[in-house]
Amino acid sequence: MFTRHVNRWKLGALGVLAISAVVAGVLASAASPAPNRTAATKLTGAGSTFVFPLVSQWIPAVGSALGIDLTYAGVGSGAGIAQITARTVDFGASDAPMTSDQFSACKGCVQIPWALAATSIPYNLPGLTKQVKLTGPVLAGIYLGQITTWDAPAIKALNPGLALPSTKITPVYRSDNSGTSYNFTDYLSTVSPAWKSKIGVGVNASWPTGVGGKGSSGVSGVIKGTVGAIGYVDIAYALSNKLQVAAIKNKAGIYAQPGLRGIAAAGATVKTVPSNNELHIVDPPASSPKAYPICTFTYIILPTSSSKAPDLRKFVFWALTKGQTYGPKLLFSPIPKVVLAASEKTLKQVQG
Amino acid sequence: MAAAPSALTPSRRLRRRKRTEKILAVLASLSALLAVSVLVLVVWAVLRRGAAAFSWDFFTKSQAVFGQSGGGIAPAIVGTIVLIFWATLMAVPLGVLVAIYVSEFSSPRSARLIRMTLDILNGVPAIVIGIFVFGLLVVGHGQSGFYGSIALAIMMIPLISRSTTEVLALVPRSLREASLGLGVARWRTVVSIVLPAAIGGIITGTILAIARIAGETAPLLFTSSIAANSVNWDAGQPLNSLPLTIYTYSESPSPSDHAQAWAAALLLMMFVLILSVTARSLFAWRQRRTGATGG
Amino acid sequence: MTTLAAAFVVALVVMIVYEVVRQAWPAIQTFGISFVWTDVWNPIKGEFGAWQFIVGTVVSSFFAILLATPISIAIALFLTELAPKWLRGPVATLVELLAAIPSVVLGLWGILVLGPVLASDVEPWLNKWFGWLQVFSGQPSPVGMLNAILILTIMIVPIVSAITRELFLRVPKELKEGALGLGTTRWEAIRGVVIPYCGPGIVAAVILGIGRAVGEAIAVAQVSGNGTTIQRSFFAPTNTLAAKIANSYQGAATKLEGDSLLYLALILLILALFVNGAAQVVIRRAEKRGVL
Repeated sequence: MFTRHVNRWKLGALGVLAISAVVAGVLASAASPAPNRTAATKLTGAGSTFVFPLVSQWIPAVGSALGIDLTYAGVGSGAGIAQITARTVDFGASDAPMTSDQFSACKGCVQIPWALAATSIPYNLPGLTKQVKLTGPVLAGIYLGQITTWDAPAIKALNPGLALPSTKITPVYRSDNSGTSYNFTDYLSTVSPAWKSKIGVGVNASWPTGVGGKGSSGVSGVIKGTVGAIGYVDIAYALSNKLQVAAIKNKAGIYAQPGLRGIAAAGATVKTVPSNNELHIVDPPASSPKAYPICTFTYIILPTSSSKAPDLRKFVFWALTKGQTYGPKLLFSPIPKVVLAASEKTLKQVQG
Repeated sequence: MAAAPSALTPSRRLRRRKRTEKILAVLASLSALLAVSVLVLVVWAVLRRGAAAFSWDFFTKSQAVFGQSGGGIAPAIVGTIVLIFWATLMAVPLGVLVAIYVSEFSSPRSARLIRMTLDILNGVPAIVIGIFVFGLLVVGHGQSGFYGSIALAIMMIPLISRSTTEVLALVPRSLREASLGLGVARWRTVVSIVLPAAIGGIITGTILAIARIAGETAPLLFTSSIAANSVNWDAGQPLNSLPLTIYTYSESPSPSDHAQAWAAALLLMMFVLILSVTARSLFAWRQRRTGATGG
Repeated sequence: MTTLAAAFVVALVVMIVYEVVRQAWPAIQTFGISFVWTDVWNPIKGEFGAWQFIVGTVVSSFFAILLATPISIAIALFLTELAPKWLRGPVATLVELLAAIPSVVLGLWGILVLGPVLASDVEPWLNKWFGWLQVFSGQPSPVGMLNAILILTIMIVPIVSAITRELFLRVPKELKEGALGLGTTRWEAIRGVVIPYCGPGIVAAVILGIGRAVGEAIAVAQVSGNGTTIQRSFFAPTNTLAAKIANSYQGAATKLEGDSLLYLALILLILALFVNGAAQVVIRRAEKRGVL
């Protein structure tokens, strides 16, 4: 340690002043009227960042409509499943359906589809006049590291008349365990046998190339900051960050957009819901010409036995019905009736 | 200078040596300049971008709903205060007691063992401490501000112990011996005579330890990261914190999140800076008052 | 009561080591020691190995300390020998303030300020002039190994320079004056007398700096790009033990993945303790020889 010739009193006074100022500001905020939390139940959930935009709209609404104090942390679908399994939260949220191993580890959990949206493919190529068109196999080629520049022949062939630069492509993936990754790898595995055998489907993969971002936020951030980047992220994030998204060719041969129509069309292909509520709607059949091929339902995961069961049921029922009306402006399409019926039926299993 | 008085011009070798010296002096100065410039760059970035986002809302509101800008970090400010409060409350008694043991009551062998243990504890990476507390306490029970404080306290203990032992060693032996000679019991001597003499140093050490952990993110990642978006003084719940807020916002694509991250960083740095300067002034003041040296 | 406190602290350390080993044990049983040199991390197929993270940790820390050591020694020299007296206090304080910057704030600066500069100016320049070196080839990127190395360097410099400065201050005046009296220049006195005298201390400071770099999770997680493979280029994303744990621990999809992450934590702990222990050994030896 060494000495300093400083007027200690002046510094001390300054320090005290500064600290008091902050404390005063903070106390003022504590004293200001808090939202309706007097007799409220607290519900804490964690998981998917995909559904975070929608849930964050729900929080104030649920507070005033149901008197429930909702907390939700977007930590990734994988973390959501882990947290509810460890019962460190009241509910989990995941875009990836739970595996049978996860179900048994969770000791009496159910998954309920409660929202429907698209995984968009944003990219960062400033100065392009038209939207980039891509297909599933080309996307797989990009993420496998086989297609490395934007002016590669494979991409050029899909976009005649578009002046693609020779910029290197930086594929961006989720570094955390993500349901959006599950959705994306599910799609790639369906359309690309090479992807299926080399990598497979999962909440995280051994990505051969590219840069990782944490959470949907992180991926959007990397894309925004890297020219030539391409990634996969819930459409709400691409929208709010004004990222250009690619049109993806569906089975009908049409380059579909991740908009409400494309999402609703994909969702409408669900005819029956299996008993564990696991739904896959990637690459829907050609009978749905407008369907966007990379859509997913996202699930809330509830313990069948919980001390907060009545409030959980109240909340989820609200989310399945009234909550869906908050969706469209964030490009969440209301869940189809057949899924709603299955969800409500499963919800009844949540008891105290 | 080493030139022999009779030489009129320096030899070639001497010129070369002097040139080397000059070059190295320049290099050394440039390095120092580099370090200072980087610091200035970082602090300036934080200052400029952070101050721009300072507003009354920033200090008093909670996080805005997704997609909207505005809002503030009041929950994080409060959370950090509460977390630090409990961490300090847990770490100081423990750290001071251990230091007293080492300096007053233990045998030289045990003292060495404890010192080594404290050094080991100091060397455990913060993320491992976070995992430790998570695995031990959070699993099955949920996160809470207390668990976060515990993780922070574990990091503070070696720092407080070390500075306390240093300051205890400065208390003159004569003081202890006089007290013992008067028949005062050992522990009483420590409590009534030695500790009060060391209190200034203990406070300084505590302030420095707080400055050290105020910005720690890793211990809180698994113990207090899923928190309600509202001001909360209750440490039984998971609490927001400035470092975690900065971490989350730093990876976000939204410019308004970035602005708030800078502002939170500015707040944190101001806090740490004030603490460090206060501790240093205290130390200098104590030194001048007691005329003690070393440390 | 104080004995209790001391015993508690010892118990705490033992508990930490025990807990980490215990939680990593299932992964240790599954993979054995070969986990350490296996270069794969495939959550889908359930194959895990620590090698890429160990390499990332070692490379980033090594180059960070490589950059930081000469800078730190130079700063210490500047502050003890070269600077005019009035400048020493303020500059020393400023360097100390660098140590006070929380790592998450440095990471923030790394992502939002340093990253873009690296991608648009520094890395293309390095590529242009030194691209024949594999480490400077490849696609410039705002996040990656280079960013991580620079941020770690900024973190280490204050630590190493503060310790080195103290060491230089403690060199007995007679030693320096003796050398100067013999006709050396100041640099030669420093090189021939001061540095060897402080040698063990500087080594210890460097080792402590390495320890800091090895254990840093947050800032590295922010700027490293979360790579999944070992790349030759410094521009490419990388990953370290600590950053991987910070990113993935909470969300492990399978029990095996969670256990493997704890195995990573165990390796990190062993590495950190080893580095820390090495510093202690050097310090004790130097103390015994009376030079510290």
